[in-house]
Amino acid sequence: MTSMPAIQAQTNGSTRCPDPYIYRLRDLIYQMAGIFQPDNKLRSLEERCQGRMLELGVKTLRDYFECLTIKPLRQAELVKLLNEITIGETCFFRNRPQLDALHNLVLPQIIEGRSKMALRHLRFWSAGCSTGEEPYTLAMILSDNAAGLLKGWTFEVLATDLNERSLEHAESAVYGDYSVRNVTPHLRQKYFVAQGDRLQVNALIKAKVSFSRLNLVDHARMNSIKNMDVIFCCNLLIYFDLVSKRQVVQEFHNNLLPHGYLFLGHSESLYGVTDDFRLMHLPLATAYVKTNKSKPLDR
Amino acid sequence: MAAIATQALLKKLDGLDRVPTLSVVLEPLLKYLEQPVDSLEVHKVVDLIAQDKSLTAQCLHLANSPLFGRWQDVDTIRGAVVALGMRRMRDIAMSCCVLKLWPGQQVNINPVVFWEHSMGCALVSRQFAQKIGMPNHEKAYLAALLHDVGIIAALWVFPSEFCTAFDVARSQRVPLHEAELSTLGFTHCESGRLLAERWHFNTELTAAIAGHHDAEIVGDHRGIVALVALSDLLCRMSGMGYGYEERRQVNFLEEPAFAVLVQECPSLEKFDWARFTFEMEAYVEEVHRLVSLLYRTQ
Repeated sequence: MTSMPAIQAQTNGSTRCPDPYIYRLRDLIYQMAGIFQPDNKLRSLEERCQGRMLELGVKTLRDYFECLTIKPLRQAELVKLLNEITIGETCFFRNRPQLDALHNLVLPQIIEGRSKMALRHLRFWSAGCSTGEEPYTLAMILSDNAAGLLKGWTFEVLATDLNERSLEHAESAVYGDYSVRNVTPHLRQKYFVAQGDRLQVNALIKAKVSFSRLNLVDHARMNSIKNMDVIFCCNLLIYFDLVSKRQVVQEFHNNLLPHGYLFLGHSESLYGVTDDFRLMHLPLATAYVKTNKSKPLDR
Repeated sequence: MAAIATQALLKKLDGLDRVPTLSVVLEPLLKYLEQPVDSLEVHKVVDLIAQDKSLTAQCLHLANSPLFGRWQDVDTIRGAVVALGMRRMRDIAMSCCVLKLWPGQQVNINPVVFWEHSMGCALVSRQFAQKIGMPNHEKAYLAALLHDVGIIAALWVFPSEFCTAFDVARSQRVPLHEAELSTLGFTHCESGRLLAERWHFNTELTAAIAGHHDAEIVGDHRGIVALVALSDLLCRMSGMGYGYEERRQVNFLEEPAFAVLVQECPSLEKFDWARFTFEMEAYVEEVHRLVSLLYRTQ
């Protein structure tokens, strides 16, 4: 069922009646991939669809909706559209509210919860790390707390991806201006070294991150990852069908320590996927916390 | 705060002499719009609104906002009433009038931020009530719009003490009502209740104003009170609070107000909180634009 829009789409400051199929497309994407486009992003969604429509020679959103629902290559087309929607999102300190919540709320809570345990070692995992900006960001946040909240603690960041070329780039740790646009001058100075007209992550941070090629549906490998405090898996589950998504999320549940956190991408949801995590609202962000009960999903 | 000081503040509040009354235009308008919808006449509503030029301009701004569901411009109050209906015009008129209640003196809480919170909460409540199939969902907007009038009352009657409480909340990043309780001995729910009674608000509105931080102990109108409580919290967690971020994590399924509301609306059990939260992103942007616009038209 197509839901009613919360508010209507706007164009150039004045309102216009939107094509109802944009709402159907929005709902379809949310249902299939779990990523939501709020009303203020509908124009952008329409533009992404139009890009795909041009390539396919499709004239209307209605016809494009059919390409995503009843045409034989619908799954492949959905992946192409998702690529358009999430394009250009990789950079250091990408989702600031999410990282602030990690720093201000989640990290202190984890430290408090684990303070009675003998092993003072934190394990973070960037699942689907692409070219490495995310795991290095996490390592920088943790390093920045080394003398304060994390005094007496050690930490490591596991970073995995399926794409070997991305991993090679990540291990080289060299980035251009676009990738580091959100890094403050202070952190640039502290954690980067100049590499010609580019910046390279310094040895201190590199030593904290270990890269590895991993397919998230490889049960044997996934099963070997244990005792994670926090998993970041941003804009990756959206490419999985429901069955695979449930499998991966179940694996994440096993990978995490009790009350471990799972962070997803902006506007990404596990609704209808699992009840093994509970949704937590953080300031301007959401995260999922591992629950210790497991029951069958009935939606 | 010592009990004696709390009593003194409450006594001050009891008079509420300094708080302005609702607009001379609004009172008859609201009274008229309370009648059954099929007995209302468009020209009477138009005449009532047209008496106040700034109210007219502000109503048109709101009527043309996508938040109120329009996508073709309306340029007259008559056009707005016909296009949006009487109930929505009541919500719009009320939204404009409450802006006039803010005290003139400088205080440490930004009026634009305050009204963004109130209007955001009203819109979220309206949408939330519709989504969960709440009976009488059309009442949600007004209850949420006015839920924080106790803050207005406090700013008129004891601004200095209230500003101290607000400073505590902001610096410690705690919910405002917790800071009020620790510094004043009572919250804006109490000052709001006194104001609501003075203005002869109906029992439903009064309950939402008085009980939105204690939804689990409210006797009557539990549904609307819980709805406003959850909408208020969602706004505060989503960038439509009082201008500072509360440093806290919230699981809505464990909120006392959730337990109350789910009894009234069983569909809430399977409510998609994530999606509703993502939808808020569009509200934040548009409410910000709209309240700035309304302030310039005052």
